[in-house]
Amino acid sequence: MILLDSVSKTYPGDTEPALDSVSLHIEPNEFVFLVGKSGAGKSTLMKMITKEESPDSGKIIIGGIDLDYVKKRHIPGYRRRLGVVFQDFKLLPRRTVYENVAFALEIAGMSGKEIRKTVPKVLELVDLLDQAKKFPHQLSGGQQQRVSIARSVARQPKILIADEPTANLDKLTTKEIIDLLKKINDFGTTILVTTHNENVVNTLQKRVITMKHGKIVDDQKNNGIYKLDESPIERPPARVVQTPGHALKTKRKLVQ
Amino acid sequence: MTKEEKALKEKKLKKVSKKGLRTMQKNRNRHIIREKARVVKYGTKGFGRNIWLSTAATVVMAITLIILFVTVVASVILTNTAEMMKDKIDITIYFKPNTSAEILEDLSNTIKADPNIKSVETSTSKDEYAKFLEENASSDEIINILDDDMTKMMIDKMQATMRVKVYDVDNLDSIKQIVEEDKLFRAYTDKEKLPTYDVNRAEIATITSWARIARTGGIVLAVVFLVISILIIFSTIRMAIFSRREEIYMMKLVGADKGFIRGPFLVEAEICGIIAGVVAGVISYFGFKFISPKLINYGIDVSSINNVLDSNQLIIVFLIFILAGIVIGRVSARLAVSKYLHKT
Repeated sequence: MILLDSVSKTYPGDTEPALDSVSLHIEPNEFVFLVGKSGAGKSTLMKMITKEESPDSGKIIIGGIDLDYVKKRHIPGYRRRLGVVFQDFKLLPRRTVYENVAFALEIAGMSGKEIRKTVPKVLELVDLLDQAKKFPHQLSGGQQQRVSIARSVARQPKILIADEPTANLDKLTTKEIIDLLKKINDFGTTILVTTHNENVVNTLQKRVITMKHGKIVDDQKNNGIYKLDESPIERPPARVVQTPGHALKTKRKLVQ
Repeated sequence: MTKEEKALKEKKLKKVSKKGLRTMQKNRNRHIIREKARVVKYGTKGFGRNIWLSTAATVVMAITLIILFVTVVASVILTNTAEMMKDKIDITIYFKPNTSAEILEDLSNTIKADPNIKSVETSTSKDEYAKFLEENASSDEIINILDDDMTKMMIDKMQATMRVKVYDVDNLDSIKQIVEEDKLFRAYTDKEKLPTYDVNRAEIATITSWARIARTGGIVLAVVFLVISILIIFSTIRMAIFSRREEIYMMKLVGADKGFIRGPFLVEAEICGIIAGVVAGVISYFGFKFISPKLINYGIDVSSINNVLDSNQLIIVFLIFILAGIVIGRVSARLAVSKYLHKT
């Protein structure tokens, strides 16, 4: 679903590469966390996927499309195939909740009838149907993020990428958002989430890819855990949600 | 993987990618009309939701349209007034009393040979006397003393005249030459009363330069105001759009096409233009109607503008106002949005 092959990128004026020969393969229906400190290259990688940036070398294939062939005129159409959730929500401030979600469908050329049918369903999914007529500034941070998620999933994309979706939210709201992403993943959407929040990563027991200095330094396929200081860690048992059939690995070492 | 396998895989990937991209293009092309309708809907809603910025842009646009109208009108009425005054100026050539109408006709034909002559009007001594009577008809004192002897004496004393209007008041040398050198003119012109072209020269020169200033100055002023207006409106709309640049970025990130992003901004600017055009048109119309009697009192010729405003052409004037508002608004908005549209 998402394939990066030896992708490198150095921004003009920088001596260190933002991405250094990054290779990555995410299968359909996977839920993947992309973690790492600021400057590790997470955002650059996300921007490569959304085609905000282009790599200096390497290949990126998203949903079967080689991004080398995505010219400027194709970018809007390409982006419509993705669902994107942002840290700062990026909602249209002068449009209501309903209109924000409908916007994603309108730009895809959906008919008014289809939109009137789809938007309430999506708002119900994120539990915001009663807030449909409100403007973003009338909502809490968590609600705004749910609108953002509703907008990104309204077109039922095969891939949803979320850049620090819980960074501005409190613990309880963070849990709600992650649960929602999990629910969407259960419907069959491939999800890639960047985060700093170790609680979020560790409670969900999904694949965790760790980046450092523009490189992937660790890729834990299942039961991934992450500690902010990136030192070799022991999984604290109290923090981990045990699930049947999952053998808990007692020690994981993050490659420096 | 061998080189051949790699090449084959690459070929297949290219084919799949291109097919996927073609499908995306196809889907987009199918919905152009629907997209236009949505652009108009969001543009109209946006105008209401950004009412303060919309009002500011509309007011600035209306003011600049009024300034443009004033400039154009000032240029037209100044030119017309100067032309009217110029038209009033004629050269009067005086002939000996009792020069006959036939001779005046010959003199008239002689001077008409000059291409600078616009019109010639002759008047015999009797005609001049008739004019005198007409002008003084209300004065009983004068009428009472005009007995037959007095009448005869006056006709014998009054010069026959020729009033000449010219195209170019700056170029009177050829006429002067005819008056001074033509045999017939030399024989009949009154040597004691010289033609008026020397007397009026200073006046003629002043009016001519006024007319020239009004014409060229009016054009220059109109162009200067037009440029200033566009710059002011452009800055206002650019500021309005600057405050919404994040919105443009957001729309791009979720996959909106450039036309779909730009469209509502253009519609908003066009609505501003339409309202500004109507407001400016109404203010200009009533403003001019209020001020024109005062201008007429000062001897300024406002007839051409009044003729336009009092006829069916008023609709065209209003349409020009609205069209100017739409065009200026649209061009400004398009330039302002493009700046942020190409950034991300």
